[in-house]
Amino acid sequence: MNSFHRPHRHASRLLAWLVLGVGLLQPYQPLQNAAAQGGKPVVQVFLQLDAKSSVVEKTLQDRLPDLAVTVFGRFRDFEDGLANGHPDAVVSITPVLQQRGKTASLQGQRGGKGSEPYVLASVNQPLDGPLTGKTIGVVDLLGRDGTQTFLNGLLKATDMKIKRVAKIEDLLPLLEFSAADGIVLPSSMLARLLERTRLAIKTKDLPGAPVGLTAVAVLNPAVRDVVVKSFQKLDGPTKQLLGIDSWSVP
Amino acid sequence: MNGGNNMTSRIAWLLGLLLYLAACATFDDEGGPAPAKLTPVVIVDPPTRPGAPTLLLAMPTSPNFVEVRKGLLSEVQKNFNVSTFAVGPETKATDLAAAIEATKPACVVLMNNTTIALYRQVQAAAPTAPMPPAILMMASFLEEVQTHIRRSTGIAYEVPGVTAFVHLRSVITTPINRVGVIYRPAFGKFVERQKVLAAKENVEIVPLSVANDVTAAGLRDAIHKLAKDKKVDAIWMLNDNALVRDQEFIDEAWRAETADAKLPLIVGVSNFVEPNSPLGTLAIVPDHEALGLQAANLIFDLSDNGWQVESHAVELPLSVRTVVDVKLVQANFGLQTDALKHIDKALE
Repeated sequence: MNSFHRPHRHASRLLAWLVLGVGLLQPYQPLQNAAAQGGKPVVQVFLQLDAKSSVVEKTLQDRLPDLAVTVFGRFRDFEDGLANGHPDAVVSITPVLQQRGKTASLQGQRGGKGSEPYVLASVNQPLDGPLTGKTIGVVDLLGRDGTQTFLNGLLKATDMKIKRVAKIEDLLPLLEFSAADGIVLPSSMLARLLERTRLAIKTKDLPGAPVGLTAVAVLNPAVRDVVVKSFQKLDGPTKQLLGIDSWSVP
Repeated sequence: MNGGNNMTSRIAWLLGLLLYLAACATFDDEGGPAPAKLTPVVIVDPPTRPGAPTLLLAMPTSPNFVEVRKGLLSEVQKNFNVSTFAVGPETKATDLAAAIEATKPACVVLMNNTTIALYRQVQAAAPTAPMPPAILMMASFLEEVQTHIRRSTGIAYEVPGVTAFVHLRSVITTPINRVGVIYRPAFGKFVERQKVLAAKENVEIVPLSVANDVTAAGLRDAIHKLAKDKKVDAIWMLNDNALVRDQEFIDEAWRAETADAKLPLIVGVSNFVEPNSPLGTLAIVPDHEALGLQAANLIFDLSDNGWQVESHAVELPLSVRTVVDVKLVQANFGLQTDALKHIDKALE
């Protein structure tokens, strides 16, 4: 009987040690990554802004010397970064953070508001009426299914075709090539679109709720202070680059 | 008729070579154009999912094709099995046919003119056999080539002029309303299509035809005519081997005349933007990873639509990367405020 149980007891003990070991190691994983980056907390950024991601990255790296910042311009790269980079904090718009189950530690604001409306832009006339069968272009913010759900919510419709593009500037060719009937974009990006094109752009406000602006989610509580304080100290032009003018703590 | 087809084929091959070289030109980390990298990459397909339909990707394995595959794969691998068939100089049509037979794909994706030509042979060898739907990519003259491939559609590789003109406007302060383009007769249809697209952005394309065997002097005259007589605001250099046949030709014709005319020159190869030896003002090249996303969108659309490829027109590439000779712009054309925020590579 004893001889029968001994291996089992050993195995149980080994398993208990393993569980304990994993339990102890797990919370420190982000710290290990921070150490690997010269002790700086690792911050990953995914935003569609009025600037190339390389420009945003260089600016943030200059302005946030206590953080190791990587900026992703495309959803799939961001997804890979999250999976493999084990960031200490993530910066993106609220729906992206929510999709990942992350809570904002800092919420960006513009004009006293933490969200902005999105618009549906089309050529020559606003895209009124039902969107059945229409093709709508949008930046890939949440992957195929996530972006479709996001767009359905914004448009309060489900029967349109969606064309995802990698970058905000790729939306204009959809209209120029008549490859989409309309494009959806944040209202703050409309000025840049109108500046670039001579198409007769018409817009329509979307019935869905406004979308949260840039927010910071700290994933590793041990570095919360340094991350939050670093972002709070950002100067006006850098905040403007991030599409905001102030921060609030939710 | 045959002679015309042969000429079109030869020009397509030459253009294909130039586009291939353009596809191989990459950005280095220092901000300058890097030399072409032709080293094949080892490709590993994701594990097979039982019951999922298969996509067969037939493609060369040089870096930019692999970049397109990366963008495509990251989108489709949850829904499709992906089998990659590497195409090299020794690949025969029978090899491709065997890969199709072995994988029984729901759809084949064919990258570059060589691969498409092999597939055309596969179809010709079995003229009545059912063929899987095909998506053609990274090939020159795709709109023309596509008509010879049954059950096919695709994404053109040449960046439309209108995309380049809109980018140029956002970089330089001098107005861009008339853009000159020098072309050989085989490019006539292409230029006509570009005129229609450019007109949407209020840009008039001013075309000037030259002979197939145009000399450097002849090309120089043509550029001079566009600049002085036609009063164009910029010149768009097509990716045509015969017009950029070698360094000496480029120096004698393009570099000399555009420097003299002080006009912005739009090019389709990033290596032609070089501040130490100015030629191109702005290079517009396809964004290969984004091209993969566009192909994935197309595959999902077709899949949702019962693979009705015939009803789907060839798409134009949506996403590009830009390289700008900032020194040249500042000296001659004025740099737009905030332009540097929107350029992928600013060279000085």
